[in-house]
Amino acid sequence: MKKVFHVCLSILLVCVMTGVVAAQSFRVQCPTTTALHPTAGASAPYIGPQAKNYVTTRSDGTPLTLPSLDSGGAVKCQQISGGDGYATMADGTETFLFAFGPLSGLNDISNGLPGTQLTATFMTPYDPLALAGTPASNGAVGLAPDNSGSPNPGPNHNPGFGTIDGHVDPRPIMDVGVMNGNMPGPLMAFDEDDEFFLTLTNVGMVMRPDLFEQHTVHFHGYPNASSFYDGVPDASVAIDIGGSFTYYYLAPDAGTYFWHCHITPPEHLQMGMVGQLFVRPRQNRVPNGTDLFASIKLQQNDLRTRSDCTQDILCTTPVPAADNGFTQGKNGYTKYAYNDGDGSTRYDVEYPLQIHGFDPNFHFVGMTFNPEAFADMKDKYFLLNGRSYPDTVNTSGYKDINSVAGTSTFQGAPGASPAMYTADSDNVARPSQPMHSVITMKQGQRALLRIADLDVTEYQTLASLGIPMQVIALNARLLRDQAGNNLYYNTNSITLAGGESLDVILDSTNIPIGTYYLYTPQLDHLSNDSENFGGLMTEVRVN
Amino acid sequence: MSGMNTKKANSTPRLLPIAMAALTLLLTVTAHAAAPGITSGTGNFALTAQESLISQPDGAMIYSWGYGCASTFTPGYAPTMPGATCPTMQIPGPTLIVTEGDKVTVTLTNNLPAAAGNVSILFPGFQMGAFSDGVPGLLTQEADHGTHSTVTYTFTASTPGTHSYYSGTQSDLQVEMGLFGAIIVVPNNTNSPACPYHNSSAQGTPETDFRLSHSAYHILESCYDREYLFQFSEMDPMIHRQTELQVGANQACVAANQTGVVCPTLDVPTEPYHAAYFLINGRSMPDDMDTNYAAQYPHQPYNGNPHMHPGELVLLRIIGTGRLQHPFHEHGNHVRILARDGNLLLSQTDSTKLAGPLLFTTTTTPGVAMDGIFYWTGKGLNWDVYGHGYSGDVTPCSPDGNGYYTHASGAADADPNYYEWCADHTKPLETAPTGSVGSGGPVTLPDPNILTNGTWYGGSAYLGPDATIRAVGPNGTTPPAGTVGNPPTTEAGFAFMWHSHNEREITTNNVFPGGMLMMMLVDPRFFPIDESN
Repeated sequence: MKKVFHVCLSILLVCVMTGVVAAQSFRVQCPTTTALHPTAGASAPYIGPQAKNYVTTRSDGTPLTLPSLDSGGAVKCQQISGGDGYATMADGTETFLFAFGPLSGLNDISNGLPGTQLTATFMTPYDPLALAGTPASNGAVGLAPDNSGSPNPGPNHNPGFGTIDGHVDPRPIMDVGVMNGNMPGPLMAFDEDDEFFLTLTNVGMVMRPDLFEQHTVHFHGYPNASSFYDGVPDASVAIDIGGSFTYYYLAPDAGTYFWHCHITPPEHLQMGMVGQLFVRPRQNRVPNGTDLFASIKLQQNDLRTRSDCTQDILCTTPVPAADNGFTQGKNGYTKYAYNDGDGSTRYDVEYPLQIHGFDPNFHFVGMTFNPEAFADMKDKYFLLNGRSYPDTVNTSGYKDINSVAGTSTFQGAPGASPAMYTADSDNVARPSQPMHSVITMKQGQRALLRIADLDVTEYQTLASLGIPMQVIALNARLLRDQAGNNLYYNTNSITLAGGESLDVILDSTNIPIGTYYLYTPQLDHLSNDSENFGGLMTEVRVN
Repeated sequence: MSGMNTKKANSTPRLLPIAMAALTLLLTVTAHAAAPGITSGTGNFALTAQESLISQPDGAMIYSWGYGCASTFTPGYAPTMPGATCPTMQIPGPTLIVTEGDKVTVTLTNNLPAAAGNVSILFPGFQMGAFSDGVPGLLTQEADHGTHSTVTYTFTASTPGTHSYYSGTQSDLQVEMGLFGAIIVVPNNTNSPACPYHNSSAQGTPETDFRLSHSAYHILESCYDREYLFQFSEMDPMIHRQTELQVGANQACVAANQTGVVCPTLDVPTEPYHAAYFLINGRSMPDDMDTNYAAQYPHQPYNGNPHMHPGELVLLRIIGTGRLQHPFHEHGNHVRILARDGNLLLSQTDSTKLAGPLLFTTTTTPGVAMDGIFYWTGKGLNWDVYGHGYSGDVTPCSPDGNGYYTHASGAADADPNYYEWCADHTKPLETAPTGSVGSGGPVTLPDPNILTNGTWYGGSAYLGPDATIRAVGPNGTTPPAGTVGNPPTTEAGFAFMWHSHNEREITTNNVFPGGMLMMMLVDPRFFPIDESN
């Protein structure tokens, strides 16, 4: 009965959507070169700020040249849809979402990886039949040659005529984007000093044609944000159905952030419009053998990357109190959570873990045309990366996200990704929850857990059975006093509110090989609605 | 009332609050916050606990109890503001402002309805002296309804900081009903740091200094240019209604004075608990952005409407009360936590250095008081938020030692880009903008017709009327009427939402928006911020 209703609704909506498409203003932006990053491609190693000229051409043709400092970085891009979809809860219930879905990096996303791409990949038109892992499997959906205007000189001259310049054909965007909501939204990851171009394309909500919902992206925790790109509709602009908007960020200080829609937050967040985001430190790019303390000292030579607590009360990463001699590559370590200058945030494997909660009553009401009540919202599903136990530990088909360099690891046929699929109301099954939550490491390794909470109703606790949690950072900031002393602490549980993030290192040195558990000691959160065992729980596998 | 929450009569509740907010803002364009409270030259405060009705933006008048100034007591007010009052009942209670070292005496008279029973005040964090009068209670001395209806508390405000105070009698009901408030202890002049002052009042523009002190503590890192106090609480309207009914029943019974009838005493269930109103300084959004001491809220005198200029150090005094935790998310930047409950968080190896965390979400738990420092500069965006760099532009930006355009590097008071981050000066945002702003930048902004503008949108991507008018003209982008909270031609600030991230709490009795939500504005430097009204 429900399905029939949905199918009828969908047919109705095809007509509605056709109208929307005709009025669409979709496009993506991902420049090959910018003044800050004139050379496309991956970042150069970090060897301290380098003097260079920031060079661009104004629209009147005159050059603009500014003396500048360069710390490396690259141009990174991602496209997401704002719309709706369904997810499958661990008790089998199909739950309606307001959700973001991937419109670039589809192959990476469906394998539980970040969908963020370099320009060359992003600007390759997405081909659903492309071999997994090729640029065409991760390019932006909808890209098409720009045939607007005229190739010939004249009033309508388009110098980019016929090229891939961000112009999109709306049909593939609607084909892919409608009902492709993911829980959580597409994973984003980039590096300090990167420029990040994030295009949000509002494809509308098929299940809720009565709504003319705008969507936005709020980059939660971005320091010194401009309100224009802060994603608060009251303070800025919101993106209507049929439109695309490209958010522009220079990567902020390294850390575990997150992102979400800011339209009617108690509704859009509860309904699933949340995602993970993290920024890797420039310390990862320091050449092998370099003393990390010397490297963080180099960062003090650029006022933008400096962290001088005598001058700035919000200094992010103070220089350590003493040089402990840790060099890049020591014991094989080249990955850090922060610019620590002492190697103390080094890790072997990293796992984003997003805590969330769903109130099934609210989601049911959200799928229908009934009024929603906010005050008595009560979550009954407790989610890690959009899944509840035992779905959190279903790793079938995944490669370890940390085992292969680069971004793309899955080599299966298109459409056969290991993501959880959910059949939508049109009976098409789409990837809905691409991320499992199993932490896998070899004995002696260190796992970085990037934990964020976007629950909108209550605080949630996550405990570790067996392996101590070392908390190294809170709210995307290293725990270090202004005198340079690390304030890390060991614990076996952490508690977060919605809107908070925290970094934990699990060190498996001297931990016997075996399976350990991350779970919530809030026992009523160890459930999947009426199933009394499940919820906020996953495994740590030491092998 | 339940029909009010029809989200799917969707256009109505979404437009209605915007219209409400818009109306409100017409009244409040210059309504800013400070941390107002009462003072007493002698250190003696005479308070009363009474009943009254408080106002909520859905039109509800909610029966509540609160502390207020005894009618015989004439307090001083700090900072000085027109219209400052201390009614006999207010929520939160009067903010007591005292100086470090003061001997403080608080005399509380119980003027609650008889059925409410005794009442008291707890002063966590202070060593209490001897009580006088009152009757012994479980946690502290209480005021009854008989011959001991007054109780006097004494303590010495020995260290500076922000503290809460609240009822220690039947707290689950009395704090819920509104019996809580704040104490601010400002540091004395001994060993106080010489604070640099970034506020434009020190620089000739017409602005008054509303600070209670120059620093929150005795260390340089606690210096500030503005300060705001936010007290978080919630209400379950059913508890308030039950209390009102039972008080009324008791009073009717007593008045009837029938022989042999035992009048019912108060027995209000406080579980199960269903909070539906979520308050900052006793008000829900948008009321919290009305003026301090606004006549329309006679029992909710304090607002929550922070404004600041780029580069100013802003002290946030944040207090949790009631029974729920509220994750307060400050958009725009991190907050450096200075202290908890008046205790500085300092490095173990260097007591001149801070050890408190940097937080983008300050989680208020019941009873906690935090002090933190916030600022906004726009540093590191890689584009010029003032839209410089257009053809013929010669606006200067000389970096001071920290990279900003300030007095130290030759900036003048009237410079629209005072405190600009110079490394991004003239760096364009847009590739080919239509207005007089820098071009050749990385992005193309879409057709404004596919966007919806917010009430507090300044009208362009840029900060300040100068840049906005150059970028898009005096009306901002279409529709021009969309930006009434932050007009393009006069203010054009950057607005940031400061709100509870338990998002269900940014509602008022199930209607969004409301509750624990306010808009913080970073105003261009020359826009005078008047915290007085």
